Amino acid sequence: MEIGLNHYLVLSTILFAIGLIGVMRRKNLLLLFFATEILLNSVNIAFAAISHYYGDLTGQMFAFFVIAIAASEVAVGLGLLIVWHKRHGTIDLDTMSTMRG
Amino acid sequence: MEFYLYLALFAPLAGSLFAALFGASPKTIVAGLVPSILLFVSFVSSTVLLVHILSGGAVVHVEMMTWMATGDLYIPFGFVVDQVSVTMMMVVTVVSTVVHFYSIGYMDHDKGFNRFFSYLSAFVFSMMVLVMSDNFAGLFIGWEGVGLCSWLLIGFWYHKESATWAANEAFIMNRIADLGMLVGIFLVYWNTGTLQYEQAFAAMPSLGTDILTLMGIFLFIGAMGKSAQFPLHTWLADAMEGPTPVSALIHAATMVTAGVYLVVRAHPLYDLIPNVGLFIASLGAFVALFAASMALVNRDMKRIIAYSTLSQLGYMFVAAGLGAYWVALFHLMAHAFFKALLFLGAGNVMHAMHDELDPFKMGGLRKVMKGTFIMMTLASVALAGIYPFAGFFSKDLILEVAFVEHHYIIYTVLLFTAGLTAFYSFRLVALIFHGEERYKLFGIHPHEAYKFMLVAMSPLLLLAIIAGSFKMSYFEMVTQVLPELEYHIHHPVTFWIMTIGTQLFVIAAIIFAYRKYANAKVTVPDGTSKIENRLCYKVLSNQYYIPYAYEEYVVKPYRELSTVLWKQVDMKIVDATVDGIAGIIYGTGEKTRDMQSGNLSTMLKWMVAGTVGLLSLAVVFGLAVRYSAEIKAILSGLGV
Amino acid sequence: MLDHILSILIFFPAIAGVFGFMIQKDSVRAYGVAVATIEFALSLWLWFSFDSNVSGMQFMEQLPLVPAFGINYILGVDGISLFIIILAAFFTMIGIASLTETKDVKNMIISLLFLQMTMVGVFAALDAIVFYIFWELSLVPMLYIIGAWGGPLRIYASVKFFLYTFAGSLVMLVGMLFMAYFYFQATGVWSFAILEWYRLILPENFQLWLFAAFFVGFAIKVPMFPFHTWLPYAHGQAPTIGSVILAAILLKMGTYAFIRFSLPMFPDASAFFMFPIAILAIIMIVYTAMVAYAQEDVKQVVAYSSVSHMGVIILGTFALNVEGISGSIFLMIAHGVVSGALFLLVGVIYDRRHTKMMNQFGGLASVMPRYATIFGLMLMASVGMPLTINFVGEFLSLLGFYKQSHVLTILAGTAIIVGAIYMLAAYKKMFFGTVTIEENKNLPDVNKRELLALVPLAIITVWLGVYPNPVLAPINKSVESIVQLMHDKSITEEAKSRIPNLVHGIEITRTTVEEAH
Repeated sequence: MEIGLNHYLVLSTILFAIGLIGVMRRKNLLLLFFATEILLNSVNIAFAAISHYYGDLTGQMFAFFVIAIAASEVAVGLGLLIVWHKRHGTIDLDTMSTMRG
Repeated sequence: MEFYLYLALFAPLAGSLFAALFGASPKTIVAGLVPSILLFVSFVSSTVLLVHILSGGAVVHVEMMTWMATGDLYIPFGFVVDQVSVTMMMVVTVVSTVVHFYSIGYMDHDKGFNRFFSYLSAFVFSMMVLVMSDNFAGLFIGWEGVGLCSWLLIGFWYHKESATWAANEAFIMNRIADLGMLVGIFLVYWNTGTLQYEQAFAAMPSLGTDILTLMGIFLFIGAMGKSAQFPLHTWLADAMEGPTPVSALIHAATMVTAGVYLVVRAHPLYDLIPNVGLFIASLGAFVALFAASMALVNRDMKRIIAYSTLSQLGYMFVAAGLGAYWVALFHLMAHAFFKALLFLGAGNVMHAMHDELDPFKMGGLRKVMKGTFIMMTLASVALAGIYPFAGFFSKDLILEVAFVEHHYIIYTVLLFTAGLTAFYSFRLVALIFHGEERYKLFGIHPHEAYKFMLVAMSPLLLLAIIAGSFKMSYFEMVTQVLPELEYHIHHPVTFWIMTIGTQLFVIAAIIFAYRKYANAKVTVPDGTSKIENRLCYKVLSNQYYIPYAYEEYVVKPYRELSTVLWKQVDMKIVDATVDGIAGIIYGTGEKTRDMQSGNLSTMLKWMVAGTVGLLSLAVVFGLAVRYSAEIKAILSGLGV
Repeated sequence: MLDHILSILIFFPAIAGVFGFMIQKDSVRAYGVAVATIEFALSLWLWFSFDSNVSGMQFMEQLPLVPAFGINYILGVDGISLFIIILAAFFTMIGIASLTETKDVKNMIISLLFLQMTMVGVFAALDAIVFYIFWELSLVPMLYIIGAWGGPLRIYASVKFFLYTFAGSLVMLVGMLFMAYFYFQATGVWSFAILEWYRLILPENFQLWLFAAFFVGFAIKVPMFPFHTWLPYAHGQAPTIGSVILAAILLKMGTYAFIRFSLPMFPDASAFFMFPIAILAIIMIVYTAMVAYAQEDVKQVVAYSSVSHMGVIILGTFALNVEGISGSIFLMIAHGVVSGALFLLVGVIYDRRHTKMMNQFGGLASVMPRYATIFGLMLMASVGMPLTINFVGEFLSLLGFYKQSHVLTILAGTAIIVGAIYMLAAYKKMFFGTVTIEENKNLPDVNKRELLALVPLAIITVWLGVYPNPVLAPINKSVESIVQLMHDKSITEEAKSRIPNLVHGIEITRTTVEEAH
């Protein structure tokens, strides 16, 4: 059995679902970042696979973009996380509700 | 002649403005004297115009300036002095000059002396505009102007609750009628295309009877208000709260006759619609009797005279309604003289009695007030219509008109009313001037009025006596514009029987009144005597319970409905609906703000849910578009 | 300068307002009076250079804003808008001149100057978008005036005023966009110029929908029953100057817009909706007059009386003939003068006693005779006494509508009765009787500053009542051209028969349209 586009897409979907559930369920900010990384990477897989399938490099280019943005996001996010932890001694999501409407 | 026209018209206005300058300052005699003199000037100018018209001069017609012009509507300030308006001008200027000079004495001790003359002259100006205008709009200016001045003057003593109440009542009741007048004016404009008397009346014969009837009725509704005809009559008696010279000038001689003047002025219209004329005459006869009956038992001197005025206005409307316009105008003129005289006499009595109005508390005043006594007696004789006083000529003519036109019911009513008139007039004279000096019980020391007040009244006395002799020359003058109907009862015997019969009937009524009220047995009623407890006495003395009914069934419900409309409808329905809509929007926000819990994972859950929702919508729409043909087929198969 | 006089009239007060921030607090009052006086003088100059024999727009200015969508800055005045602009300048002037001691007087004067910009802008704009911008901008200074200087309920009142009218205007904006779209479909070019829109003949069902959309915006502004409830709150809480400007000018925007937009653009819809609107107007007249009679606060009496009078204006507008429309425009000016004066008068007594409840007064005629006289004059004008300014407008409005319906006019004519009832009752409660309350015994009569505002109004009231022609003639000229335009444009039989054909008016219409280019 040859591994085709569909297999990649299924993998991407499964990863996306895992990421999504992680985003919804996790209470720890650090793990939330992990979940978003999984989400982004699932999309990257799909981009790369489809790009290969069509022989069009745009998709792979986009994947690099996503990686770059994800890296910067994590850099900023982790910075904030550390500041938050220093100030409050916790990174539990339920303690962060200053945006309450 | 134009100069005299403007002088007659604007001299009162100048007087009013002059007195108004002193409005806030303490009493100055100048503020009374100057308007009076200016009114005399106006009177002289009117006389010049009268002589001009009498000597066969042309009708003076001027157009001062444009008032309103828009679309096809063109209303100028135009004034006309013809045979009819010059009569009214004479009546107005004579009576008002007398009343002005009289008032200098009457209002002597009043704080509002200057103000009073300002209002009074303003009234005369409005009245002159009313009678001299050459179009319906100008008439309406005067019409409302006299209403305004009447409001000011009835409520002149504004600290008195009853006076201000009566003023507002008069104004509002007149306004009800003015709406009718306004509608009449609209009808005239849209059907004839103009409001100028001449052109409008010229166009009327070609209109349909329905339209003309409507016009006639609506204009007459206006006349009903000013002339206080039933059912809009209650304001006139209450208007007696004003100073007595006001009652003499406005509520007896001039303003209340404006309605009659309107009908006379619109005679080309009323000639075309005899049915409306008959209605006017019937209403007039009814009011004549109705008002006279209320005067029979009243215990307020001024109200008795007011009801008498009402009754005489009924007579005038009978004449006008039956097409005898010149007779109506003649009675208007004669009535103005003797009724103003009567009121001014009553003013003297009031002054003497320190504003006491109940004639039962007077009695025997002839000893101290000889001049007033003579004048009031002669005025009453004229009112009762005894030969050779003014009332005889004018009132008898109206009876003749009714007889000749074969309206025997109206004739009988009027004849009976003539008896009642004589009775209540002399009941009043007897109670005031004859019998015991009952006023002594109340510790009052009466005194005669100032000499110059009596002198000021004397022209009216003279006119009340001799006005009847003008009949023929007057007839020749006004019939140049009014229909030339002379009423002669065909058979001389019938004529003499009727005339002498009427005279005897009236004299009998006078003697009866004297015998009943001029003797020493008259006492101040205290509500215990037999007659006072009779039903008919109660009905009459309560004015048929009409004011009560108005208060109970019109004024109070209106007030209550207003409060309900404000507090229930406006606040609780209209405004609450608006606030309710705002409340729903606000409430939705209030409820959904819980979504924004601030908890990151909850918000992420909402985000995911939203994404899923939008994606599913996109898929559903995408599918629907792709399979739209099939969906339509299925739906049509289901019969949708 | 005359070529750009309208722009000057609009932006001069605004620029002066900006500079006003730099003026010292003590002299800002004099500065405000000076600016408003110059503005008023300019508006008078506009009147003197106005050619009364021309029915179309004059002093037109045009400047492209967004040419791709046909949005241009177009200004112009005709006989209809001219006098409302003058009135706006006049009221701002006497409003600032008679301003009593208030906190933050500087901000108040600057707000008033900005308000003046928006008011003149609304009446001079001939482009729908420019009109809309000024229309909405006018809410802001008024919101600020009510919200900052108002009574105890000021926040509620100002927010209600803002949101209510704003919601209505949005529906109107949608209507404008649709109108522009239809114009685009018909001609292939985008245009928001009102004079261009006049030339567009729409099918009747389009007209009905567009009329309804515009109606919502205008009716709330007027305010027509049942959209009137913001007005009593706004008046009740606003400071005197706010009420004066609101009653005298801002309410007129609604009725003016009916004549500028609804009638000439949708003649068939106007004829179609004539009777429903007339019935609403009659409800307005009678119902609010009765509500006014029940009031205990004299300012609320005047506020509700405003609604009642606006009913007569609406009725005259929808008479669809020259007499009625001229009358309604004249009544707009008359009502501006009279209700403005009445609000000033209420302000006079409020400054002295800090209450507006009528049961706190009584017998004022003997304490303050001059005040009572001016109040009496304005009262008589308000009830429509002939030879005062209001009568001319009321008479013509009712006369005009009588052509359309006898019965409805009689019902509407009760305005003269119910109006007299509440006004006389209020006057009696305040001025007649004896002085019973101790504080009222030594009230000072109107002072010089108040007379400065009231006497000119009294003079105008009588002058235009006796000789309305200087104002009525230009109005008449412009109205004739509008009525003729409506008659020519209308497509239904109903509208053709309701709107008169003025024989001599056809040429006038053509020139109007050509001047638009």
